[in-house]
Amino acid sequence: MSDPRDLVTDVGLLAEGAHDAGSPPAGIRRAPTGVDGLTTEHLIINMGPQHPSTHGVLRLIVEVDGEEIVAAETSLGYLHRGIEKLAETRRYNQLGTLMDRGDYVSGMHGEQAAALATERLLEVDVPAKGQWIRCLVAELTRIASHLIWYGTFGLDTGAMGQFLYAMRDRESILDILEAISGARMMFNYIRPGGVVADLPAGIDGRIRRFCNGFDAYLDEHHALLGGNEIFQARVQGVGEIDADTALAFGLTGANLRASGFGWDVRRERPYDAYPQLDFDVPVGTTGDAWDRYMVRMEEMRQANRMVRQCVDGMPEGDFTAKVPKVVRPPEGEVYASVESSRGETGVHVVSDGSDTPYRYHYRAPSLFACQVLEEILPGHLIADAVMLIGSLDIMLGETDR
Amino acid sequence: MSPALVIVLRVLAALGLMLANGVVLIYMLRKVLGHLHVRLGPVHVGPKGVFQTTMDVLKLLSKEDVWPSGVDRTLFYLAPMVVFAPSLMAYGALAFSETWKITDLATGLLFTFAVLSIVPIGILMAGWASANKWSLLGGMRAAAQQIAYEVPLLLSVLPVVMIVGSLNLGDVVLAQDGMWLGFLPKWFVLPQLPAFVLFAVAGLVELNQTPFDMSEAESELVSGFATEYSAMKFGLLFLSEFSNSFVISALGVTLFFGGWLVPWVSSEAIQPIAPVVFMIKVYIGIFVMMWIRGTFPRVRIDQLMQLGWKWLIPASLGWIMVTGLVMKLWQLGPQVVG
Amino acid sequence: MLPDATVVRSILSAAGVHDAPAEETSLGLVCRVPASRAPSVLAAMRESELDFRMLADMLGTDTGEDIEITYHLRSLSRDEELYVKTALPYDGDLHSVWNTFPSALLPERETAELFGLKLVGHPNPKRLFTTEGIEPLLRKSVPQRSVEEVRER
Repeated sequence: MSDPRDLVTDVGLLAEGAHDAGSPPAGIRRAPTGVDGLTTEHLIINMGPQHPSTHGVLRLIVEVDGEEIVAAETSLGYLHRGIEKLAETRRYNQLGTLMDRGDYVSGMHGEQAAALATERLLEVDVPAKGQWIRCLVAELTRIASHLIWYGTFGLDTGAMGQFLYAMRDRESILDILEAISGARMMFNYIRPGGVVADLPAGIDGRIRRFCNGFDAYLDEHHALLGGNEIFQARVQGVGEIDADTALAFGLTGANLRASGFGWDVRRERPYDAYPQLDFDVPVGTTGDAWDRYMVRMEEMRQANRMVRQCVDGMPEGDFTAKVPKVVRPPEGEVYASVESSRGETGVHVVSDGSDTPYRYHYRAPSLFACQVLEEILPGHLIADAVMLIGSLDIMLGETDR
Repeated sequence: MSPALVIVLRVLAALGLMLANGVVLIYMLRKVLGHLHVRLGPVHVGPKGVFQTTMDVLKLLSKEDVWPSGVDRTLFYLAPMVVFAPSLMAYGALAFSETWKITDLATGLLFTFAVLSIVPIGILMAGWASANKWSLLGGMRAAAQQIAYEVPLLLSVLPVVMIVGSLNLGDVVLAQDGMWLGFLPKWFVLPQLPAFVLFAVAGLVELNQTPFDMSEAESELVSGFATEYSAMKFGLLFLSEFSNSFVISALGVTLFFGGWLVPWVSSEAIQPIAPVVFMIKVYIGIFVMMWIRGTFPRVRIDQLMQLGWKWLIPASLGWIMVTGLVMKLWQLGPQVVG
Repeated sequence: MLPDATVVRSILSAAGVHDAPAEETSLGLVCRVPASRAPSVLAAMRESELDFRMLADMLGTDTGEDIEITYHLRSLSRDEELYVKTALPYDGDLHSVWNTFPSALLPERETAELFGLKLVGHPNPKRLFTTEGIEPLLRKSVPQRSVEEVRER
């Protein structure tokens, strides 16, 4: 093991063509320098990994000409915990705990993906009540995750108040989720076959109270940030990702829908109770940061609508199928994905018949969003870089796994 | 008393006011921002947290003075002083009442603006000397922003000067004495509302306040030009920022809101409590600035430059022409002669 | 959801891969191609009538004899998914497909690093997650404590 003091310049080679921290970033796109040929020196700046703004420990190496970014490179790995390797010694009902810690802000979605993959391997059906409970907590988690995105997006642009208003609303959701699952963040609630426990008595009253107040709060949030001309000037027309680029870079979720493709896993590959729920999928046009903002705000509204439907239409019955604690799925391979708040969270499991997965792969939507950063940042200013990372809603826990 | 002693006492009074202002303003900022953000702000130290800032100042005095390796020692040492001293000097021409002034300069307004324009030099020095690319960016942004906006700041108050006919801040206040139509105070904010708006925007830019605080944009540059400063050097930099906000608010109150005048009360009758009235008005202005600070997102540096060069300067030039035209057509000569 | 297997086979033949197995498994439609042909096969899939314009995912698996790379292709216009698998020897060359699918940039770095492959044709072939000196973590030869070992500590 090399000397830790060498870690700063230690980059490790996979092939020829690596460089040290002082030379220009290798980002795949380099904006042309100014036409007038002023010989100004380009600065190579490190943004992160500790930074008040990057959402997690993301390190961006940017080459700037004054304030304009000429090239950018993302440097990941500061939060790599080896989730995929750890999963090879976890039983199938324990995989949810690993997914909780991937995208830690929308934990229920990760657990749902892992549970769906196991159920597909076992060819087990989740009973109706279990499906509806899963949709309920998933949509609540979506609202909570989008509230964090909204708050931190405001912070990135300089508006501090909006973050605390978003946290106030998120506290209500976390209290509800704590009543349901016992934990505020690492839920470990959705398991293969259904959920761990039934909904507590009286929870529907709490959820209805939250839903009734949330629409008005959402209007307030939108008026405070989206209705502000300074914010609009910062965000409109910035960071445009056209539809072809979005598709080519593997974007999913709100990032892809803002660029014009209406692909939503809940619609295209329905799972759980989503076929019975009534919701709209917002789609943008230009793919700039403003469209991504509007798509996510509307998604929050639709999620609120779905939460209300889940509470009103909750069926009776079992909340889980009879699945043994130690499952030994037949040999095979399966891919299952859910529409998480960041995009398509997928789980690709290879089973060899034993009680632990042979290979467990976590398809993280934020990894693809990090790639597209290198493409769109050249040509923008440093202030835009911070704002664009926020608009893509990158979560480092799932990027690094 | 000998004149020298009087001058020294006045300067000490200004210093005392500046320090007291700093303490009160920092506490006020934390409380105002806290309540805007659905939280409380300081509550523990003293009743309702009133001793928080005093304890913070003592903490700053006792902190280790960190000198990062690679800094330019002279500039690093001088920069906070170059930022602090002009802020203290700017109190010189303010008129707290007819008799309470540090100095009675005939060119008071110009002196205040000239002194405030030295501050960006100090910020640039701080950013450069810090041997830190982020501080450098912050310092460069501050230089671009504050130097560029001195033009609209000065142009926006010219119409007021044209009406009053004098740059003395005491005369400007006296020119706003009296009533129109028996009930409207003659404060210049009413006929000169565009000038007030331009002054408010340019003033916020000069103060590095949100929505224009790019040089210390917390979410981008950590602390911008002040990142490498610790202990009392940091204290000086931020004391000067709060003190500048007092000065700009005081100028706004003097030029547009009647200084120490109260409507429907004659200027002689108000003299005993004139400084109190003045301070209340200034603090209301600062409260509005903090209100804006807690609500608005930040403007981008190129958008800010466009705002200044393409909108504020033409608008202020246009308003100067309109004011001159109106004054000429209606034979409104300057109200204070000589 | 499943593309037509005969169409897939004809595209593979046109790309120079004859008698390629394209079978339906629990995963979906899976076709196996030799490693040297993978970039051209993926390009052919993208340009073909099946319109596989999105590389949704890319992963590696240590099968014990070789490293199996799986490319997960998706066609949004036709709502179809295809899995292309290749096999690479340990310490072999992973030819980059970033020209066809830029979404492979970071996943290829990750796969090459965590399985000990050599990345060829990539604009930035550096390590992604771990630092110099860490062995290829996802190989089966790198041990990890089993459930019983963890319980007995």
